[in-house]
Amino acid sequence: MRINPNFVPNILTDIQQSQVSLDTALQQVSTGKRVTIPSDDPYASASLVQNTIETGNVDQYTQNISSVLSTLQSADSALSTVVSSLTQAVSLGTEGANGTNSAANRAAIATQVQGLLATVVAQANTSIGGSYLFGGTSATTPYTADASSPTGYTYNGNDSVNSVQVGDSTSVQVNIPGSQIFSSSSNNVIGALSSLVAALNTGNSSDIATATASITSAIGYIGQQRVIYGNSESQVNAQQTFLQQDTVSLASQQNDLIGVDEATAAVNLSQAETINNAALAAAAKVLPNSLLNYLSPPS
Amino acid sequence: MSGLNTSLSIGLQALEVTQGALEAASNNIANANTPGYTREIPQFSEVGQTLQGEEIVGGGVTLDSLQSVRDELLNLQIQQQTSQQASADTASSNLQQVQNYFASSSGQDISSELTAFSSSLAQLSATPTNSAARQSVLSSGQNLAHAFNSTASGLASAQSEADGQVTQTVSQINSLSSQIAQLNGQLAQLTQKGQDGGAIQDQRDQLVQQLSGLTGIAITQNQDGSGETITTGNGTPLVIGSQSFTLQTATGSNSLQKVLDSNGNDVTSTIQGGQLGGAIEVRDTTIPGFTSQLNTLATQFATAFNTAQTQGFDSSGNAGQNFFTLPANSSDAAAGISVALTDPSQIAASSDGSAGSNGNVANLTAALTGKLPSGETAAGAYANLVFQVGSAASDASTQLTAIGQNLQQLQNQQSSVSGVNVDEETTNLIRYQTAYSAAARIIDTIQQLNTITLNLGGSETF
Repeated sequence: MRINPNFVPNILTDIQQSQVSLDTALQQVSTGKRVTIPSDDPYASASLVQNTIETGNVDQYTQNISSVLSTLQSADSALSTVVSSLTQAVSLGTEGANGTNSAANRAAIATQVQGLLATVVAQANTSIGGSYLFGGTSATTPYTADASSPTGYTYNGNDSVNSVQVGDSTSVQVNIPGSQIFSSSSNNVIGALSSLVAALNTGNSSDIATATASITSAIGYIGQQRVIYGNSESQVNAQQTFLQQDTVSLASQQNDLIGVDEATAAVNLSQAETINNAALAAAAKVLPNSLLNYLSPPS
Repeated sequence: MSGLNTSLSIGLQALEVTQGALEAASNNIANANTPGYTREIPQFSEVGQTLQGEEIVGGGVTLDSLQSVRDELLNLQIQQQTSQQASADTASSNLQQVQNYFASSSGQDISSELTAFSSSLAQLSATPTNSAARQSVLSSGQNLAHAFNSTASGLASAQSEADGQVTQTVSQINSLSSQIAQLNGQLAQLTQKGQDGGAIQDQRDQLVQQLSGLTGIAITQNQDGSGETITTGNGTPLVIGSQSFTLQTATGSNSLQKVLDSNGNDVTSTIQGGQLGGAIEVRDTTIPGFTSQLNTLATQFATAFNTAQTQGFDSSGNAGQNFFTLPANSSDAAAGISVALTDPSQIAASSDGSAGSNGNVANLTAALTGKLPSGETAAGAYANLVFQVGSAASDASTQLTAIGQNLQQLQNQQSSVSGVNVDEETTNLIRYQTAYSAAARIIDTIQQLNTITLNLGGSETF
């Protein structure tokens, strides 16, 4: 059989192919990626779309968690201040209920309770980053002084609750409206403090005792409300742990999809290099061969 | 009667024949690197023996012809593979360009912008009153719309490039057809005169192979010896003998070029193989498929997001307005989608009209994470599209490699039949050189013998 005399194109193709492999191997080693364009691995590229979005979301949820935590902690510390004010008010109320007090003494106690009331209202008006912790979802100052109101304050917020997304299907309640904590119809904290002030000013011992009792029950009530914040906080903490794991598993999934195993890549590179060298060396050896090299030149 | 003169003429014949053979060898060597050249071998034959008295005497040698060594079946296979290769090559290079718009490494593709949009909504959920968070939703929405626009325009430009290739290829086909027809005519004349048209046949084969790279063709030999009939795969004539038929292009209703045969019939959809077939397939099937999926995604996502937006209230307590504006024509959805809102406060995060509410953010997010009417999420639908683009590009390039290897095999085979081996021709040169010397020696010897014979009768020496 006659042999193909023109093997130059074949040698060229072989050299080119070995160069393509070398380029690919080099690119994989230098970028650490196996997939840079969709045709490198269509399935991995498609899965990467979902992975990228989830990774982006997990990052954002993690940021949300830190902002939610700071909101929850601010709310909790505000409520803790309120509780200590109320505790103080109870002892002042108990002191004021003592019949041995003079009117002047009671007035002084009333002023102190009035101060505590102002503290509680200030806590109820706490804002963080421009939004009020206890104003529902309203952007207006929750409690403003109002002489016409029996409690002396009006609630300007609403009854809405915000839930912040901290996972694809997880959201946590981040606020309790003031209308539920401070001025609900059954446990009106501000109302109770106001009536204590009024009772101290009028000097009616039984009114003072009633007002003090309702403040005592308000302490319990606020304790219950703080549980809601506590629940949210522990939910968020658990979610944070989950998101940390999720970040790791998403990153490892991404690496599985488009990353390249460094050892394999290095081996591929050195293999491609060897093949390329061999192809070039073989070509250099074979190409100059011709019968003409061996014929003596014509005399 | 045999005699010195017979030997002399045999020697002369041998000289001439050897010269012819030397010419063939040198022509082969000269054309060793000429593309499409088919090696020629001299066909010697013995001149008829004559019976002279009791003896049988040979009549020397004659050079019948220089015959080109070719394998028509191989040529045909090479043409078919060339068509397929050119088609895959056109598709592959076009799709390489298309898939760059879907590569996430650019950071401005739809996937990256969907990610940013989704993150900005999650951020808005935590800080609904923060104007920076609102601005970030608006900006990433604009970026997302822009990513849709640029992907759509990338697809459109790849399509119009393929369209340009159609026009260009058709004019190349016409030029080749007319050259082939001309060569067919010349070849027919030579064949009638009984001459070998090796060089012309080489040229024609070369042109036919080029033509097969432009479009899939079918070749039949004409019975009347007027050369070949070449048609496109579905029978539209390009060359019949010495007559060529031109293809034409005309702008179709979709503002893309359609291909017409010489009678003006639209044959666009019947053309397969070659650059033309590849360009038409990419232009009319592959890219429109991607574009329509992208449009569906843009329409369904924007509609779902707009619906979610109208369920809520903006930060001034007004009912939410559409976030995205879609063009009137749904086939321009991806190319023309834009953000309708102009102010971050218009984002309808609130579910009850109060400024601090984030109740509607969940609905906005659901437009991203929930299933669209297509049954997939926005990300899922886009991932599916990325998969299709990637596998189309990867299939085309795999096909290209496979056909390339096949073609190389065939070319090796063809070259082993028709290619010039310089070593072989050098050996032939030496053989013919020896033969030429030997023939010259015959003439020299006869001349000496003649001299001796002439000197037999006289004293004078010649």
